[in-house]
Amino acid sequence: MGTELPPVADQAGLFRRLRGRLLRNGLRVALEQGRTRLLTLAATSVFVAVFTFAASNYLFNQLAKANVPFKGMIVEALFDVLFFTLGTMLVFSTGLILYASLFTSPEARYLLSTPARADRVFATKFQAAVGFSSWGFVVLGVPIFLAYGLASGVPWYFYALLPAYLLGYVLLPGAVSAALCLLLVRYMPGTRRQFFLAAGAVLLAVGGVWAYQVAAGLKKGFVTGGRELDDLVGQFDLLRSRATPSHWMTRGLMAAARGDPTGALVPLAQVWSNGLLAYLLAAWLAARVYRSAYDRVAGGGGRKRVYGASALDRVMGGLVFYLARPTRVLVVKDFRTFRRDPTQWAVLLLFGVLMLLAAGNLRQYYSAGLAVLDAYAVSLMNLWGTAILLCAGLSRFVFPLISLEGRKFWILGLTPVSRDQLLWGKFAFAATGSVVVAEGLILVSDLVLGLPWEGVVLHALVVAVVAVGLSGMNVGLGAYLPTFRETDPSKIVVGFGGTVNMVAGLGYLVVVIGVMAVPFHAAQMTRVAGGTANPLLYAGVPVGVAVGLAAAVLPLRAGARALRRMEF
Amino acid sequence: MIDLSGVTKSYGPKVAVHGLDLRVPAGELFAFLGPNGAGKTTTIKMLCGLLFPTSGTVRVGGFDLRTDGDHARALISYVPDQPFLYEKLTGREFLQFTADLYAMPPGRAAAKIDEVIGLFRLDEFVDDLTERYSHGMRQRTVFAAALVHEPRLLIADEPTVGLDPKSIRELKTLLRQLADCGTTVFLSTHTLDIAQELADRIGIIDRGRLLGCGTMADLRKQASMDGNLEDLFLAITKEEAAGV
Repeated sequence: MGTELPPVADQAGLFRRLRGRLLRNGLRVALEQGRTRLLTLAATSVFVAVFTFAASNYLFNQLAKANVPFKGMIVEALFDVLFFTLGTMLVFSTGLILYASLFTSPEARYLLSTPARADRVFATKFQAAVGFSSWGFVVLGVPIFLAYGLASGVPWYFYALLPAYLLGYVLLPGAVSAALCLLLVRYMPGTRRQFFLAAGAVLLAVGGVWAYQVAAGLKKGFVTGGRELDDLVGQFDLLRSRATPSHWMTRGLMAAARGDPTGALVPLAQVWSNGLLAYLLAAWLAARVYRSAYDRVAGGGGRKRVYGASALDRVMGGLVFYLARPTRVLVVKDFRTFRRDPTQWAVLLLFGVLMLLAAGNLRQYYSAGLAVLDAYAVSLMNLWGTAILLCAGLSRFVFPLISLEGRKFWILGLTPVSRDQLLWGKFAFAATGSVVVAEGLILVSDLVLGLPWEGVVLHALVVAVVAVGLSGMNVGLGAYLPTFRETDPSKIVVGFGGTVNMVAGLGYLVVVIGVMAVPFHAAQMTRVAGGTANPLLYAGVPVGVAVGLAAAVLPLRAGARALRRMEF
Repeated sequence: MIDLSGVTKSYGPKVAVHGLDLRVPAGELFAFLGPNGAGKTTTIKMLCGLLFPTSGTVRVGGFDLRTDGDHARALISYVPDQPFLYEKLTGREFLQFTADLYAMPPGRAAAKIDEVIGLFRLDEFVDDLTERYSHGMRQRTVFAAALVHEPRLLIADEPTVGLDPKSIRELKTLLRQLADCGTTVFLSTHTLDIAQELADRIGIIDRGRLLGCGTMADLRKQASMDGNLEDLFLAITKEEAAGV
């Protein structure tokens, strides 16, 4: 027989008020203490949105003016791919953020020891995670569709429906991700390593078969003059299926653009109803398994692993031999933390392997005499791929380093290492690692493609400038815009500071590759410059190097000044 | 109030708590002692419903934590060794949130909030954001929040860490008064003086097993020796280590 039942609170209203109060107080503090930072962040977001809008507007106008055949189909296919890609990214980012906030955060531990219902805690965390992972989607997505609307002269309700579509679309991937996260944590076999290896192998196999079919479709299409392009399009049927949420988005928005309100509302209803149903299922699941999943995570288990030094640590220490010993020790400490977290390097490894596979595969096309995909075009794509990989990798792993040191800064404060040394140590770690990885990738892919030596040397230089500049920006801005209160690196990255850094990094790539490598590649692809010996093709190289130096030094100096002033 | 029956908790191959049977009646101040890694925090987390036992049952106020956890947790306040506060709430807002979470009537909540603010001397900083609090201020705020909803069971894990001597004295008085007024207090601590001074009964756990449980007199009898709690604790845990 239990004690009399205690009263039950209106938890939905309670948590809504809590979120509102936290937001209000947070904004007030930000306005009082960091107005410059807030304005910088807002200005950066506006800049990104305006830049995206301008670029999209130009492209859509060109498409309209050039009267390209099947332009409607092209736009539709672009939207399909855009929504599918964004949806997939939302699944991963929401899942990662949710895992941290549901299972490892102090707030979750606190709430689970109170009468707060498991599904209510889940709902609160879900909304925060979806908000965190999707605001970039809104900042980038809205300008693209506004540009499309203006270029195509769409009716007014296209604009009215746009926010409803975008808001609705973040629900479904977020809810799917949340359900997967809960199920994985609750029911994943004890042998996690084997489980992940098996899951990874299956994913790779499926992806490999699909990539092979796409490549085969491409090859046939180019060789036979186009009829088999249907095969290629067929490989993307999944994205264009009526059952695919990304296609509901495309279908609805295109219908609104055509002036067909009924055709626009039905997919909108599909997006929202499926999103809400998926959310309800995830919340239902949370009510049943969240607490037992938390118990499972908190219980840990498995064999105790013994950690020790590795030859790789000595290699890292050797690569930064020029630093003072205390700084070198800090560099090795950062490297050790990095290599012991497979979630950090596995993604980079996967991207790297895929890029090399693509380089090897694409070589077949230009070997067969296909002008459109010649070595210069493919190697420029590889250069972009490597640079974007660096930008994403450094933003994810290096930018949060200073923020993550925040809570244990007193330990570093007691060591005979100055704050400047700490910053330069992180820069040395980031620059060394990224130069080694990126040079390796670009050299192997250029050699696989058989690029002439001028191209190989130019790429090696561009990649070095990109790696050093991005390292300086990530470390410097990481110190200038830190988030010491946050312990989850994925949240630091998607916060305001992380976004400023990411956007600045992408802008930097555009400038450096634009001035250093694009003239060379454009001339070779159009065969107008008379070979690779024309010195004008390399005129942008010193400009790029100067931009790279400025990108490394200026943020580092700003970061060092900010770090010196900080009180812990 | 607390009823642990045959409770075992394993972390993979490691057994953290082994076949624990323990009953703590309402209004008792129970001190739970043990060396580091003995299983104290695991037991406390099972009492709050943060962890579930691998086998056995945990009941609080008659409610099974596994099947009826929300009702059980409504009776409990848990003050962990590393307490949580929302950084962007003031102390008063956090107290209000806690009162609302436990469904206190508004009038009663307001009165209790004023009472605990006075009791823990929070007046000077209760309207500042908690991110500006020192450790001691945080600890006092967390205790105030733990008591604002008048829990039937207060579980405190190392509650005196970070408190100044005056606050420790006040806390000890308060814990004793709570127990005298009918609140069950489950106290985990390494500070044996506090346990000896305050506790009605003391449980000693080591390597997941309850080695001894009772009043000071019971423990002296078990250890076959006189002396203070420190002597008894060392004797009982030494016997276990020696396999006696």
